[in-house]
Amino acid sequence: MSQKRSSYAVGTGLFIVFGFTALAYLATQTTSVANVHMGASYTIEANFANVGQLKERAPVKVAGVRVGQVQSITLAPGKEIAEVKLAIDKRYETIPVDSVASIFTSGLLGDQYVGIQYGNSKKDVADGGTLALTKPAQQLEEMLGKFFGAGGVADNLGGTYSVTANFTNVGSLSVGAPVKMAGVAIGSVQSVQADPVKLDARVTLAIDKRFNQIPDDSAAAVFTSGLIGTQYVAIQPGGSLDALKDGDEMILTQSAMQLEDLIGKFLVNGSPGDKTNAGTGKSSDTPAGKH
Amino acid sequence: MNARGRQEGNAVTQALAQIGLCGLFLLTLLAAVPRSFRYVRETIRQLWFVGAMSLTIIMVCGLFVGMVLMLQLYHVLSIFGGTSASGMVVALSVYRELGPVITALLFAGRAGTSITAEIGLMRATDQIDAMELMAVDPIAYVATPRFLAGVIAMPLLACVFCAMAIFGGHLVGVSWLGIDNGTFWSNMTAEVDVHTDIVNGVLFKSLAFGAVVSLIAVFQGFTTPPTSEGVAYATTRTVVASSIAILALDFVLTAFLM
Amino acid sequence: MALAAVFGYLSRFTTVPSSMTESVRATLDDDVLVRIRGLTTVLGGKTIFDQLDMDIPRGKITAIMGPSGTGKTTLLKHITGQMRADAGEIRVDGRNVAELSREQLYKLREGIGYLFQNSALLTDFDVFENVAFPLRQHTQLPEELIRNLVLLKLQAVGLRGAAPLMPSELSGGMARRVALARAIVFDPMLILYDEPFVGLDPVALNQVLRLISTLNQTLGITSVLVAHELAAVRQIAQHVFLIANGKVVAQGDPKTIADDGSPWTRQFFGGEADGPVPFQYPAGDYAQALGFAGVVK
Repeated sequence: MSQKRSSYAVGTGLFIVFGFTALAYLATQTTSVANVHMGASYTIEANFANVGQLKERAPVKVAGVRVGQVQSITLAPGKEIAEVKLAIDKRYETIPVDSVASIFTSGLLGDQYVGIQYGNSKKDVADGGTLALTKPAQQLEEMLGKFFGAGGVADNLGGTYSVTANFTNVGSLSVGAPVKMAGVAIGSVQSVQADPVKLDARVTLAIDKRFNQIPDDSAAAVFTSGLIGTQYVAIQPGGSLDALKDGDEMILTQSAMQLEDLIGKFLVNGSPGDKTNAGTGKSSDTPAGKH
Repeated sequence: MNARGRQEGNAVTQALAQIGLCGLFLLTLLAAVPRSFRYVRETIRQLWFVGAMSLTIIMVCGLFVGMVLMLQLYHVLSIFGGTSASGMVVALSVYRELGPVITALLFAGRAGTSITAEIGLMRATDQIDAMELMAVDPIAYVATPRFLAGVIAMPLLACVFCAMAIFGGHLVGVSWLGIDNGTFWSNMTAEVDVHTDIVNGVLFKSLAFGAVVSLIAVFQGFTTPPTSEGVAYATTRTVVASSIAILALDFVLTAFLM
Repeated sequence: MALAAVFGYLSRFTTVPSSMTESVRATLDDDVLVRIRGLTTVLGGKTIFDQLDMDIPRGKITAIMGPSGTGKTTLLKHITGQMRADAGEIRVDGRNVAELSREQLYKLREGIGYLFQNSALLTDFDVFENVAFPLRQHTQLPEELIRNLVLLKLQAVGLRGAAPLMPSELSGGMARRVALARAIVFDPMLILYDEPFVGLDPVALNQVLRLISTLNQTLGITSVLVAHELAAVRQIAQHVFLIANGKVVAQGDPKTIADDGSPWTRQFFGGEADGPVPFQYPAGDYAQALGFAGVVK
């Protein structure tokens, strides 16, 4: 009998311990209490004049692909400079010293993250070193329009085939984002990876088998649905007689435009012939949307 | 305690009489707390029945609530490009409302009914009278341990529910829909506050819900006519009364705590 | 006697209720254990007892009989203090039940065993723990002694082998014997049996019958029996009260009570369908109810 009783006691004890573990987890891991630790393998520092809404644990991206996260944000005493510590994955520790760290926003209302644009120097930043070149966060008020596009998600019922495309910058394109042709969803983004050699983003697109007549010289571009919508990949058909096959690579790509890069620029609907990367001009004076 | 007596008059006066008797019963229960310290083993045993045995349903439901919440939020927030906030919204809605409320409703259905039915059957089979005659106070031995077990178990269950919901949200959001893991956590940790959301939201509310649900369950068990219909009727009433009480109390508590 | 040895052992532990030892000493000179005077109870507008007087003798088996609905079970509840009477006085072992505080009442109840009609075993526990329950609640005896005491009582009712069974696995007769073992585990001065023979087959009935008289003879426990089974009562009861209309209408030796000539005893012991206990439940005029009243006149 005493055995039966103690089994209750043990079970109940387990239940209580379990409950308190859950409480401890909620209180420490999902609340502001959690923003303390982080032991990353490779840490570099960047000083910004303005971090905007950047938060600790926000992603650090290279060519739009996550390579690490923000470890801490502190204000240098006596100076109007925010010191941001970036914890970066060991795999991507070869960052040229003249790289530029900027604070970007995913979408108009989205979260801010640190983007690193590689420089040309042969020297890499050492662990604990500082990136000298930075661009502060752009405030929403300073931003203008963006490309418009249609929403919707592809259905992949008929099976898909995969093609790849390399972009210099995928913005906040995420896995599962739609792939569209003429504004209609024909597939989805299967994976987004950083290419350690070319230092750009390699995106794998899964396209519905029904659309197997896409010319192999078609261009892929990263667009945004609406002003504040999610990003998607648009395919602009080319004129070749040969169709894209499973495993092919799309040569012609157009990278995502960062909201910050668009300031002051005329926005023209991306035409099929547009094969250049998003411009970075800041000279224009006429803000405009697509319509 | 067994003096529900003969009630006449319309539904309103009957409901008022029920609430009044329930309040008096609460005082009886609380007065018996010192005496029930002798039966701490019984409280532990009840904690096993109402708490540990409810874990499975609470965990499974928590997981699915988190998953479906994330799925819904993702599709709505993707219209505004705000999917990165979905982890935070899941956490806040689970901590402040869904966690304590759904846990309490499940608790009423799972543990409340079994408490009512058990006590009702104990009365129907004279076990309560037998205890009384063996000089064991049935309030201290039967009612108070179940009440205390409910009060203790609810906050723990609510915490487990919330943790599972966050896990479910993470599963769908990060592993399936491709929200960035760091974004998921950074938004959550930036917005969730220990005091307002965990202490006031989860713990305080679920403590109150636990007290109300187990009070109603024990009260219904003790005051039901000791017949098989009476027990069946009381079990239904436990669920109905608990559900109304939980949601009404939730509104009041939210208004006060906000 | 084994009981005396156990009792001596028990009294060395401070946890044994003192009322038991006191009661044994204090009232040896009094041959009435339960004295009821002027008991009046009204339930739901119906008078159950009307100035009822009754003396239950110590050390004997007393049977309380009467038509259904006369409040025999209510009377037992008055004796144990579960129900308060509207008027009158009940003294159990010299103590006025109505005036006792909760603690004193519980002390008194430790000296009273009560056998429910449906046994009222605790369904959560097995047979052993059911019998051990009062010991565990009121004493801190070592586990070994509890075990021995429980097995002793179970042996007395012939169910030592059933110790590990759960109440749901017992037959009605067995459950009642287990309940009896539980009722006597504290060696009470008084056992109240509420309809102990209802629903038992002849074998089980005789087993319970034998147990009641054995317990009374060997342990000297005063037994009060509420029963309808005339033959069974005749076998073991030493004193019979017949209650009707809220009063004791006849009492005495079971062999002679039937011959006292009163219409109550004649009807009850003779088993007549009509008599002082009417066949018809009180109702208005029959002819009128059928609508013939005017026609017949």
